[in-house]
Amino acid sequence: MRADTEAPAVRGVAVPPGMRSRRRPRPSRAARQVLPGLLLLVFVVFFVLPVIWLLLAATKTDAQLVHASPLSFGSWHQLRVNWDELTSFQGDVILLWLRNSAVYAFLALAITLAVGIPAGYAMAMMDFPGRHALLITTLVVMLMPATTLVVPLFLEINEVHLVGTLWSVVLPFSFYPFGVYLTYIYFSTALPRDLLAAARIDGCSEFGAFRRVALPLAAPIIALVGFFSFVANWTNFFLPYVMLPQSSQYPAQVGIALLLTDVPQFNPTAGSGTVLRPELALATLLVIGPVLVVFLFAQRYLVSGLLAGATKE
Amino acid sequence: MALGIRAARARSRLRASSARVAFAVGAVALAVTVAACGNGSSSSSGSVSGAGAKDGFTQAAQTSGPLVVWVDSTRVPAAQAYQKAHPNVKLDIVTYDGDANGSNTLQTKVSLYNRTGSGWPDVVFSAENNEIAWAQPAGFTAPLSKGLIPDSVLNNFSPGALAPCTVDGTVYCLRNDLAPTLLWYNAPLMKQWGYQVPTTWAQYEQIGQEVARQHPGYIVGAAGDTFTPEIYMWASQCQANGITGIRSVTVNVTSSDCQRMAALLDTLLADKSMSKLSVFSSAFDKQEQGKVLMMPGPVWYTGAIFNTTSGLNTPKGLLAAAPMPQWPGTTPATTGNVGGGLWLLSAHSAHLAEAVSFLEWVTTNDAYQADMAPGLPAYAPAASKWLANQQNSGYFANNIVPVIQQTAGQVWQGWGYGKFSQEAIWASTVTPGITSGKAIVSMLPSWQTAITNYATAAGYQVSH
Amino acid sequence: MTPVTTDPARARARRAPWRAVRAGHAFVAGYVILLAAFGIVPVVYGIYFAFTNAGNRWTGLSNFIQSAQDFRYVAAFEHIGVYLTIWLAALVVLVTALALVLHQLPVWGISGFVRFLYYIPGALAGVASVLLWLFMLDPSVSPAASFLHLLGYGTFSQVIAPSHLAILFAMIAFWTGAGGWIVVMYGALNNIPLDIMEAARIDGAGAWRIARYIQIPMLRKWIVYMAILAFAVGAQLFVEPQLVSEASLGVGGRDYSPNQLAYDFAFQNNNVNYAAAISIELLVLSLAVAAVFVTRSRFFDAS
Repeated sequence: MRADTEAPAVRGVAVPPGMRSRRRPRPSRAARQVLPGLLLLVFVVFFVLPVIWLLLAATKTDAQLVHASPLSFGSWHQLRVNWDELTSFQGDVILLWLRNSAVYAFLALAITLAVGIPAGYAMAMMDFPGRHALLITTLVVMLMPATTLVVPLFLEINEVHLVGTLWSVVLPFSFYPFGVYLTYIYFSTALPRDLLAAARIDGCSEFGAFRRVALPLAAPIIALVGFFSFVANWTNFFLPYVMLPQSSQYPAQVGIALLLTDVPQFNPTAGSGTVLRPELALATLLVIGPVLVVFLFAQRYLVSGLLAGATKE
Repeated sequence: MALGIRAARARSRLRASSARVAFAVGAVALAVTVAACGNGSSSSSGSVSGAGAKDGFTQAAQTSGPLVVWVDSTRVPAAQAYQKAHPNVKLDIVTYDGDANGSNTLQTKVSLYNRTGSGWPDVVFSAENNEIAWAQPAGFTAPLSKGLIPDSVLNNFSPGALAPCTVDGTVYCLRNDLAPTLLWYNAPLMKQWGYQVPTTWAQYEQIGQEVARQHPGYIVGAAGDTFTPEIYMWASQCQANGITGIRSVTVNVTSSDCQRMAALLDTLLADKSMSKLSVFSSAFDKQEQGKVLMMPGPVWYTGAIFNTTSGLNTPKGLLAAAPMPQWPGTTPATTGNVGGGLWLLSAHSAHLAEAVSFLEWVTTNDAYQADMAPGLPAYAPAASKWLANQQNSGYFANNIVPVIQQTAGQVWQGWGYGKFSQEAIWASTVTPGITSGKAIVSMLPSWQTAITNYATAAGYQVSH
Repeated sequence: MTPVTTDPARARARRAPWRAVRAGHAFVAGYVILLAAFGIVPVVYGIYFAFTNAGNRWTGLSNFIQSAQDFRYVAAFEHIGVYLTIWLAALVVLVTALALVLHQLPVWGISGFVRFLYYIPGALAGVASVLLWLFMLDPSVSPAASFLHLLGYGTFSQVIAPSHLAILFAMIAFWTGAGGWIVVMYGALNNIPLDIMEAARIDGAGAWRIARYIQIPMLRKWIVYMAILAFAVGAQLFVEPQLVSEASLGVGGRDYSPNQLAYDFAFQNNNVNYAAAISIELLVLSLAVAAVFVTRSRFFDAS
């Protein structure tokens, strides 16, 4: 959105560009801050309390989960015991699952970026036949019920004999139309066409223009798409479940669904399982950890990257 | 948020032509796909690669390689014990959910493997007794009684144990354990309060009503589980699951057999001497610890509910066993059954000799079944030893051996093993009503409708 | 702003159209391959299955008709309807409200911190969040036990009574999804030119009026975008009811959503054709709703 296309009249107020001032609330409106503040607080509790519970649950025994106060701390010793029980399940398989998740997510992420950033750039900045078709197809494809199309996808992958291999999961993951669409938006709003035109005048090839002009400015969108792609790959359940027959190939999401079926409270026939609810809580924490870490790194790009790019001038 | 004004206008202008392009792309893709489809993608099972029919089925070409065994977490010790006893065998132990609680994992995976033409495990443990109903027609499970396993072994399974495995006289799997239902009770407490162990349902109901009046808070049973019908309805000969053929089932749950048991349950539920909770829920642990006077249930309740810290944690010397109460005039006496588990051998296995050896060992060998198994073995010689071990532990308040042996032979044969899960139907149809206080008698017609619907959807002809 | 391209440059660019076109195609080649292989072919395959039977013979609409006659079909779509209504309403209203409130926080650091807190559940998407909520909804272990008891629910079975499921699933979906959308909306709010905001404030507009007359209209496209995507994802509801059904041993969530029904058709009845029919119906539904949203909100208009 460009400021010069906005209609409302501005009463001669000159706000220095780049200055992000926030008005402090006037004292008489202080009361008005209470209601929004309360709203924020209620939702902080709503969003965060279950996660706090999860953190504490990993330090307790199953009996403590039931009989002790929900937000009480167990003990560090019990955390250690829970960790040992969890890793003793099928010989450290939880770590194998996490490793699988990382491999699938990062491989697919690499392909997504390698393929999607140039594609979004081209759709935004270049003109070629089929560009509009591609854009519309991308939009439409984002609305597809991915879960129900897993079966045709499975049959298709089966035709090329890739079922049960790494690629049966990584390749479908790499197809990330949402990422391409975000890239398209970013480049079409953040990248001034004149810069590119200037580069072309200077004799740059298209690829040269991309490499010299667009890529250096693309760090925010790379971080953004990378982050979303990573999270989508990391949390995908149904595709790996169908494509990967061996439990040693499972990513962590499918793995913890399997662990769920070993908890006696959720599956009475698993009577003597070593995995009880605290171990399940610990496993869940291990599975969400990497996403939070990646989010911390991508934090600043998530806000500033995509949308503030337009106000660069 | 602007998509780019230029792009927007251009898009609306060129929408027509781009739609044409998209259609063309789609048409090409369709042509390619249809052409590719002609090359046999959805092949059914039945590997035919070199070997002829032997032992009653077409065997795959045999190769050497690791034996792939799928077990649930409770049976992992069984596979590990086999590995320990046979260090030279290469075993690949894979844990899965055991196909429990209607999850259909095994059927899903096998149907995927049938399409790819490879990937089946060699031996599978399933907690779902209905497995053979789909696995045999799908050609997944190999016949065992046509040469692979000698009759001398098969005949040593307890009577009726192999019923879930048998189709048209051929045995297609081996039973892991028996789970007949009986009456567990707190012997010292019964004695203290002066109650006789009930032998009829009328006596049981009477005790339940007295407990509600004189000792509120104590319970004589629980009706909140998904297998509640298998404990009570099955024992009462209520015809909810009369599988009479591969495609036919008789369902009549509004009969008097069903009504009388439903009325009994309703009375005790209303009195609150029967719990509405599932015995596996944490609410049950919290509320009922130390409050269980009697509990009809399967043999494996000992390790799963009573003698465990993540359950009721009942101390030593309290728990005793008695046969299930009966309705007047029921001869022979009948009881229900909750589970048991099956071991299947894949007809596509390329390691039949090792697989058969594993199968036989894990169901019959004392090292696992008598000494380590959590439930009553289906193999009779192992069962006697298991019972002796249990009694010798000194946990029980009476001699449970003759009781369990007696009930093992009382399971009513009227309930079969179909392609649909009775537990899942009861869980979604009746359990929510029980939780909200509805009478089971009033839910019998909707239970009938639900069973009919699911059976029909699974391809059965339903008669009443 | 430097002037736009001069004539010689434009002419030079036009003189080399092939190079530009080839370059354009080269840039998108990788993506197009993936799009064809994993976007278009499965849909085409799905359409193929929806209109044929197991013997690969054309069956017209019979798969659609027969799958619609299944006793679970109508109920599944009813459930989805209720769920989507609750879910979209909560998402649109609450996400916009929270983003607006966050945007007004006086100290930038707090705003970022609160956004991070709101985002944390997003890391638990899918299986992990359902697992966590299975605990949250069980009054015996949940930290919200007193709140659940206040509502009259003493046991897990009472909480997952069939009439509650739509709200529960919407709550779980909101819990995991809202954080990400709040971040996006917040960024969109940052994009509103400050001079307009300043002008409005000088005019004496309070926070509510600024929100109502300036911010929300400028967020319109993003709200519509969010609604469209949320609808498409919500119509595919599968993991939440499937896991609740498994964890409650079938008491709640079984055959709840059309996707679960398609899954049952595919893997229990080995009927890929009925499953494909349902998935095509879901696709058409999502596209139709998207078209409605887009045309009614004049999505493509210049703002």
